[in-house]
Amino acid sequence: MTLLSTHRESVPEMPNRLALEGIEFIEYATSRPQALGQVLENMGFRPVARHRSREVTLYRQGGMNLVVNASPDDARVSATADGEAVISAVAFRVRDALQAHTRCMELGAWNVSSQAQAMELHIPAIHGPGASRFYFVDRWQEFSIYDIDFKPIPTVDPHPQAIAGMRYFGVVQYIGAGRSTDWLAYFEHMFDFSLVPDDQRFGILPKGKLMKSPCGQFLWQLIEPDPWMDADESPERLQRIGLGAANVSAAVTALKARGVEFVESTRLHPEDRGALTRSALGSVSFELVHQDP
Amino acid sequence: MNLLDGFGMDTITMAGSLEAKLSAMKDAGFSQVMLMARDLVSHPGGVPAAVEAVQSSGLRPTGFQVLRDFEGLSGHLHAYKVDIARSMLEMCAATGSQVLLACSSTSRHATDDLDHIARDLKKLAMMALPLGIKVAFEGLSWGRTVNQFTTAWDVVCRADCPNLGIGLDSFHIFAANTPLEAVDDLDPSKIFLVQLSDFMWNETPTFEDRMTTARTFRVFPGEGVHSEALADLVLRLDRIGYRGDYSFEVFNDDYQQLPLATVAERARKSATWLHDRVLHRSAPLPAWTLKRAPL
Repeated sequence: MTLLSTHRESVPEMPNRLALEGIEFIEYATSRPQALGQVLENMGFRPVARHRSREVTLYRQGGMNLVVNASPDDARVSATADGEAVISAVAFRVRDALQAHTRCMELGAWNVSSQAQAMELHIPAIHGPGASRFYFVDRWQEFSIYDIDFKPIPTVDPHPQAIAGMRYFGVVQYIGAGRSTDWLAYFEHMFDFSLVPDDQRFGILPKGKLMKSPCGQFLWQLIEPDPWMDADESPERLQRIGLGAANVSAAVTALKARGVEFVESTRLHPEDRGALTRSALGSVSFELVHQDP
Repeated sequence: MNLLDGFGMDTITMAGSLEAKLSAMKDAGFSQVMLMARDLVSHPGGVPAAVEAVQSSGLRPTGFQVLRDFEGLSGHLHAYKVDIARSMLEMCAATGSQVLLACSSTSRHATDDLDHIARDLKKLAMMALPLGIKVAFEGLSWGRTVNQFTTAWDVVCRADCPNLGIGLDSFHIFAANTPLEAVDDLDPSKIFLVQLSDFMWNETPTFEDRMTTARTFRVFPGEGVHSEALADLVLRLDRIGYRGDYSFEVFNDDYQQLPLATVAERARKSATWLHDRVLHRSAPLPAWTLKRAPL
């Protein structure tokens, strides 16, 4: 036994072996890109660029990049028959995309083969829950990946300001019954996410298990069906995006003025801690969460 | 709910087409089936037709077997086995099976380092996880490093992954003469599959004896000379709280040349023996009692 024990207070290590640094973009797949575009514009996202070879549009507000993929193959794989939009990918910023991808493959991830055309970026990816994907992007500091694969839409401000300073707060993932421990293990092992204690919650929808990314920049929430929901055998999926805002009320007011509707019931309604937009197009809703600037 | 719930047959026990096997099991009263990959790929209509046959039979897949010699390899051998495992997992998911059976390696190219073995199995479990599949790791009684369920359990504990557990097979436990007291140390929530069979020899001292017997001359529980030990095993599992499935892993050359209904009837007798004589389970209530009372 050593005299110089360093484990007396069992300070947890917070490794970040992929060197994660937040979310670079989130992607929706849909066969109805115009309708989804309208929903996103109401939320303050602006279309700023179009993909060179595929039917993909980049929306942006503040530091948030959001990609709408209506490329027939992707839309067919990801979206349901009636054109409901689904969150089809989350791209993580990492220090070295190839290294991150290689590490995940060594740990048992499933590779997604690249569709990059000539002169386009090959962004390495692995399969996520359901039909979703996780991308790894390392070129986010020195230059923008969008400059290569996308053409800017003329006359549009490429960097529109965010409404009420909104930024990506997290992602909500719906999982199968009894699957929390599985997915917690997956995210801990693959990405070094760590569990947030059950008494620590944000916003107005505290259900399920909550994890924090090792970079501390976003949260990941896992929600199982309730035990009485016997019939809920819908596939696992990324359900919605959480947006952080310092002043939720101001954000709600600004968004309402743009035509966004919020869930307002006695149990669930906009308040200082958070708010939930009403589902548009059957599946698209956003959760606002109070986040200190 | 019926008397045979919780017990199922394996497709490997009977000859004939997949449809004929499924139909014989169903006719005998079984509600689940342990699937063998070979049944799917050898189906004349290919894997999709085999999947369709399983789904339309209404039988629930107990699990899917079998991934062999996965763990402990390195370099190109490891990469090759990872590819094989991915294909097996895809088939497993297609059938709606939630458990993949992985047997301990017999390869002399595999390491005996238990931490390395645990790491590989964790990787397998991670591959299975997004598909909603659990991996049951089973020690073959002629496995090179892992040949007793106690060692398999050690490896599962080292890997510490929620969807990686242990698969037990009574044949291998008896063939390897592993003391049954060790069952008491298992965590029932980490036993993902229990396969039951008996055999006619008292001793199987060599690996060769075990292999030959395992592949040609197993019998249903209650039909062999290890009935007492098998009853003891099942009761111990019940006592520690195991409430999962029991499947009959009976490789038998004789059963391969008997009418399917005859073999399925033997399986039914075996399940009834376990239900009534061993576990003393109460008879299920008649179906009308399960109907909900009007609100």
